[in-house]
Amino acid sequence: MKKEKTSEVILTYLILILVSFVFFFPVLWLILASFSSSGSIYDFEGFFPKGYSTATYVKLFTDTQMYDYPSWLRNTLFVSGFSSVISTVLVILTAYTMSRFRFRMRKPLMKTTLILSMFPSFMGMTAVYLIMINFNMINNLWSLILIYSAGAPMGYLVQKGYFDTISNSIYEAARIDGATNPEIFRKVTMPLSKPILVYTALTSFAWPWSDFILPNMLLKNRDLWTVAVGLTHLGETEFSRFAAGAIFIAVPIVILYFSLSRFLVAGVSDGAVKQ
Amino acid sequence: MKSSSFKTRCSYVIMGLGQFLYGQRIKGLMYMGILALYLWYLITAGIGDMRGFFTLGEVEADPWLGTAGDDSVIMMLRGILSFLILAAVIIFYLANVKDIKVTERLVGDGKPLPSFYRSLLSFVDKKFYVVALFFPVIGVLIFNVLPIIFMILIAFTNYGGNIVPPKLIDWTGVDNFIQIFSLSGIKGTFFKILGWNIVWAVSATLINYFGGLFLALLLNKRCVKGKALWRAFPIIAYAVPGFITLLGFKFMFSYGGPINYYLKAMGESSIGFLDIDAGWKARIIGLLVNAWISIPTSMLLATGILSNMNNELYEAAALDGAGRWKQFTRLTLPFVVFSTTPTLITSFVGNFNNFGVFYFLRGGLYLDDYFLASDTDLLINWLYNLSIDNNYYGIGAAVSLIIFIITSAISLTAYVNSSAFKKEDTFR
Repeated sequence: MKKEKTSEVILTYLILILVSFVFFFPVLWLILASFSSSGSIYDFEGFFPKGYSTATYVKLFTDTQMYDYPSWLRNTLFVSGFSSVISTVLVILTAYTMSRFRFRMRKPLMKTTLILSMFPSFMGMTAVYLIMINFNMINNLWSLILIYSAGAPMGYLVQKGYFDTISNSIYEAARIDGATNPEIFRKVTMPLSKPILVYTALTSFAWPWSDFILPNMLLKNRDLWTVAVGLTHLGETEFSRFAAGAIFIAVPIVILYFSLSRFLVAGVSDGAVKQ
Repeated sequence: MKSSSFKTRCSYVIMGLGQFLYGQRIKGLMYMGILALYLWYLITAGIGDMRGFFTLGEVEADPWLGTAGDDSVIMMLRGILSFLILAAVIIFYLANVKDIKVTERLVGDGKPLPSFYRSLLSFVDKKFYVVALFFPVIGVLIFNVLPIIFMILIAFTNYGGNIVPPKLIDWTGVDNFIQIFSLSGIKGTFFKILGWNIVWAVSATLINYFGGLFLALLLNKRCVKGKALWRAFPIIAYAVPGFITLLGFKFMFSYGGPINYYLKAMGESSIGFLDIDAGWKARIIGLLVNAWISIPTSMLLATGILSNMNNELYEAAALDGAGRWKQFTRLTLPFVVFSTTPTLITSFVGNFNNFGVFYFLRGGLYLDDYFLASDTDLLINWLYNLSIDNNYYGIGAAVSLIIFIITSAISLTAYVNSSAFKKEDTFR
């Protein structure tokens, strides 16, 4: 390719700066707002707060009379943590089985999940809501965990793709050595699947962490709210509290995404069977 | 049948009895235990539940007389459950028949029968997939399949509006669908929302797709130094949880928000961007906000695809005297579109069912000439308003079936096309 002209280089950089500004500015605005010394959005000069302080963060964790952020955070951690563990086990088992074994029900199962995934995700949720109401399971964090984990195996395709890349010869070798399938899963597959285990655990942690719809439907009780539900109840006068609460849960997720991409690339490209 | 011995035939009638008589005591007892449990369930609840599924209750609760009455929703759920249990028992029965045949052959060949522990071990080994998939399948059955079946059935009942338990619900056939397509208020709303939904899905998909492609191409240019740094900004946007982004933008366009602040500073009066009468202003803000959220994803996708492109093609094209624009339209675009057709269609379906954007930006607004919806609501938002906020479960379920038909038709076309594409090795 030819080298670009200077005018084009300048134009390219101008566009890049503009694009970065567009993507970064709203985030920066929220960060600034979280350090605003006044809580209400009406006390801002446009995008910028009139004064800065860390008081909002202190208030977020101490002024829990109306908006109990620490408890929202605890609930969110509880739900995300347990969902992540259970989902990871179920997804990895499903993906590994679908990738490694050929059995009569395999194709029908794969087709069924494909069809199920075409129903609007919302439709099932309305029904889950009705079912939960009728069996008196709303206002219970465990029912959230149950729904997140039980639905997780539907998204097994990425993990199956990973297991598809593991060469069959390694399993055959283990088989010849007399290993049974559970042993192979424990001693051969597990050590090889660390990257995908981490990926699955993190993504299935991130989903309940930032989901709003389901907890909003099922948690009517104020002390059970998760962060997502709580933050939507903050109005314009509580804007900096919203910003602080949002930044506080967004930062771990952003860090997670950045570390995740590097980890995944490194992990997936190290094949176990080198050719 | 004639060749099978008496013991084998015992298992056809009472599952597990044959195994027990052959001496496989524990296995036989377990099968018989399952059968006994099922019979007990049938007598105490199962038969009633199956009947209840069809009647959906006969006794209406009467607080004056103190009658408890039937709860139609529970009856339908228990009915579905009873059929699922029946299916599970049939699977066990078939496994039992298969098992007894194996046992019979072993006995016929004079081989010793494996002990319970041994056969359990060999089952876990040989049928590892059954063991591994047991919990995932049960989970999906209860939390995905059962709700969907329930919703499909609800679409054919009069559940909703005034008719919620303790009132009795009835099967009404396709009444809900007829209402959607004929009742003036609902019909008008449905077609207005469907029209906007299609416009939204097409434009959102195109904006996000080409926006992402543009960014990826820009970052792919040779002169750009520090690509990782430039790429980080869209990735931050991608990583921030969606509801935070959406609520943030809602604040940005609110009356006290910065946009209106600058308008007022310039002497204009403030604008209700997301008010009930905002019309196209709100729609366009929705498109832009959605672009902000989705372009990073499609940028990452396009970057991945561009890195697989063959540079020699470009060199050859440059030698043939093709200009930059021609290289783009003749090489880059066909290649990228070719490799992303399936994702393009998934993202179309995703945008078609994009619940979050308008729920967060202006949820819960009802316009006068809409039935429980506003002019920015998509079908999925209408579905939410109907079923969660206003208890119109029957009509809501019918709407979700219509959404399913539309999206699955699109996905199916995509599936057929992508496999047709795979046969052509244009770019391999």
